[in-house]
Amino acid sequence: MRFALLVAWREYAENAKTKGFWLGILLVPVIIFFSVQVPLWLEMKGTPTRYFVLVDQSGLVGPVITARVERDYQREVWRALKEYARKYGGSNTGEAPSLDQFINQGGQDAWLAELTPGLRPDAPPFKAPRRAFELVALPSGVNPEAQLPALAQELKPYLRGESHTELHGQDIALNVAILVPRDLAKQIVRSPGATTPTGIEYWSDNLADSRLREAVEETVNTEIRRREYLARGLDAAAVRAVEQTHVPVSSLNPRKESGREAVGAADIIKQWAPSAFVYLLWVAIFAIAQMLLSNIIEEKSNRIIEVLLSSVTPGELMLGKLLGIAAVGLTMVGAWILTLFAVLGWKTAGAVGTAVVTGPILDVLQSSRLLPMFGVYFVLGYLLYAACILALGSVCNTLKEAQSYMAVITMIMMVPLLTLTFIPKDPNGLLARVLSWIPLYTPFIMMNRAMADPPWIDLIGTLLLLLAAVAGALWMAGKVFRIGILRTGQPPKLLEMLRWLRR
Amino acid sequence: MAGPQLVNAKATTGAAPLEVRGVTKLFGGFRAVDDVSFQLPAGAIYGFLGPNGAGKTTTIRMILEIIKPTSGSITVLGASSALQVRQRIGYLPEEKGLYKKMKNWAVIAYFATLKGLSRAAAKRRAFELLERYGLKDFATKPTEALSKGMGQKVQMLASIAHDPEFVILDEPFSGLDPVNQQVMEDIIRDMAGRGRTILFSTHVMQHAERLCDRILLLAKGRKIFDGTVAEAQRTLPRRVRIETADNIAPLTELPEVAAVRPLPPTSDDREGPVAAWEVELRGAADPQAVLQACFVRGIRLRSFNQSEPTLHEVFMRLVGPEAREVAAR
Repeated sequence: MRFALLVAWREYAENAKTKGFWLGILLVPVIIFFSVQVPLWLEMKGTPTRYFVLVDQSGLVGPVITARVERDYQREVWRALKEYARKYGGSNTGEAPSLDQFINQGGQDAWLAELTPGLRPDAPPFKAPRRAFELVALPSGVNPEAQLPALAQELKPYLRGESHTELHGQDIALNVAILVPRDLAKQIVRSPGATTPTGIEYWSDNLADSRLREAVEETVNTEIRRREYLARGLDAAAVRAVEQTHVPVSSLNPRKESGREAVGAADIIKQWAPSAFVYLLWVAIFAIAQMLLSNIIEEKSNRIIEVLLSSVTPGELMLGKLLGIAAVGLTMVGAWILTLFAVLGWKTAGAVGTAVVTGPILDVLQSSRLLPMFGVYFVLGYLLYAACILALGSVCNTLKEAQSYMAVITMIMMVPLLTLTFIPKDPNGLLARVLSWIPLYTPFIMMNRAMADPPWIDLIGTLLLLLAAVAGALWMAGKVFRIGILRTGQPPKLLEMLRWLRR
Repeated sequence: MAGPQLVNAKATTGAAPLEVRGVTKLFGGFRAVDDVSFQLPAGAIYGFLGPNGAGKTTTIRMILEIIKPTSGSITVLGASSALQVRQRIGYLPEEKGLYKKMKNWAVIAYFATLKGLSRAAAKRRAFELLERYGLKDFATKPTEALSKGMGQKVQMLASIAHDPEFVILDEPFSGLDPVNQQVMEDIIRDMAGRGRTILFSTHVMQHAERLCDRILLLAKGRKIFDGTVAEAQRTLPRRVRIETADNIAPLTELPEVAAVRPLPPTSDDREGPVAAWEVELRGAADPQAVLQACFVRGIRLRSFNQSEPTLHEVFMRLVGPEAREVAAR
């Protein structure tokens, strides 16, 4: 055992020095970090404030559009303040106001003034979110009364970024122009099929960001319909009341305790979190399986193996390798999971607005059995594949030779990846259950089913089968390894290897 | 022609470091080693000779218990398995290789720890050896930075870092330049001087001739010869080289002479070309008898050289195309 540990220690120390190991350690956390951070950046910094001009020659919809944009902005401020109050509010944080209360009671300044006395001493000053859209005045010299084609022609250089206008003394590029024609009332479409008039002109070179366009469309149409109701003699208050009626649709999960069946963000995360772990499991096992292979081949092709075998038994050598490389893998996976927790924890505690997503993820990870299952399946899955790799590596003389066989193992390993997204959709379905009982796939598929309460027979049965498979594979690998490791020349035929097992 | 008398190793006092008894190894139907027996006296330098495919490496692997013999038994340092005494054995395999990315001191230290040295002692020893054999500057460089010969030296150091009692070296000289061959010879002599037993295989007869106390000759898996270098030389008839312008026919009639063969004529001198002859003697005949016969029969000699056959000649004779199997026991 002492010698196996010496071998393991060398494997660990040498592999821990390789670039691949550090790339593996660093790359995955970097990916995790960016996959959490980038969408936020894109939201906060990536899309800068977009400046728009609004020319309403009809005089019908201008105010509702500006009101809508303002209300959307106030909702952002309200959300940010709610988060701020939750985090730093301290003692006298009462019930948060509704959005309407917030706006009617004086908005940001009023609520902040109310919050300030009770704020925790370490609270940073509140930073209001940036406006997504900001209305600016028409560039000087542009005539708002001109015909729309002429007006558009005048605005085009600004929209193309060739000319700049000014806001608060700073040069800014104009992103959007909303031009409402004088005869808007005549351009209302009342029956389907009639020729569609141009209506309101929305000028922008950015087709991807449709938020403002949708807001304009929705607001204007609501306003137009409201005017229609009034024109037909309906009561404005009644119309408003009718507009607010709606029936909610709730998602419920039959697997949850009664009374708590409501499906929330956490449930959706729970459904998909296992897939993330399957992916992590796959990457980890694949990476260290490769490491193990190139490692054995190096010893074999360099004939170092012979010196080793004059000092340790093949059993000790194999055990040492398994342990050493497992330790490398665990270090790597451990670093990944720690980073994941660190990033999630930091995001949940830190920046405003992100806790909505990261909080539930963290809760799910901490409360569920995902992590212990990941640990168990990582170790067992690793051992099973490592046994195959050890046997394979011991009979090949060069990495090139081994790689053609490795391709087969890679192909076998592709199945869990291909089913990665199918399994969570039907976690206890036939496909999932059948694949679970194939030891090579058990770790991946059962991991993917982890949050779907698979039947106990599946959970325990597949685990026992996997354990048996690991024991069997290690036994066979030991036999093949013992003989194969000293062989040179052509890799043996399968039949020949089967004969080795009987020795 | 009298069959040379081959003497088996005399019983040595104390436990022999290695005893190989009737060992046979079959690979499928192929007899790689066929009923080989020999014994190593303690403190000896033992040469393991034989052409390619003679079964040297297979025998060495069996001694080290890397592979198991099909039949027969091996006792190493008093143990029935080399694994029980592996910490007292050093081994340099035929095909040399090192971990490419590992530092030189670390490789030596690693193999030393596998032989039971503590980590600290192994490290100290590694630096000490590298310094002693002129590789100090490479101690903290990866092994891939070494030339082939230097790499081989490092591997040699790695195999003896734990100061083993019994060292097995498979082709230690192959691939080394003359300077490093000398270094290798010095290492071997130094170990033998400290009472270590060394078994090394080689193709190069000069090394064996210079270093070995005893040699074992294998061919096609079977033992051909086992004994001292002098004994090996005695397996070939003694020869005398003479140069004369006279007729040497009378010599062939001597009872001591087995054959007379012409050699290419040598130096021209004032009296014109002089013929050279090789006179092969019978059995234990004394070369002096030839000299006396020449004198008696008036054959004027330009030169008379009495030479012992080289190990190379012995080797060629014993395992060459016309090789005869000499009674091994």
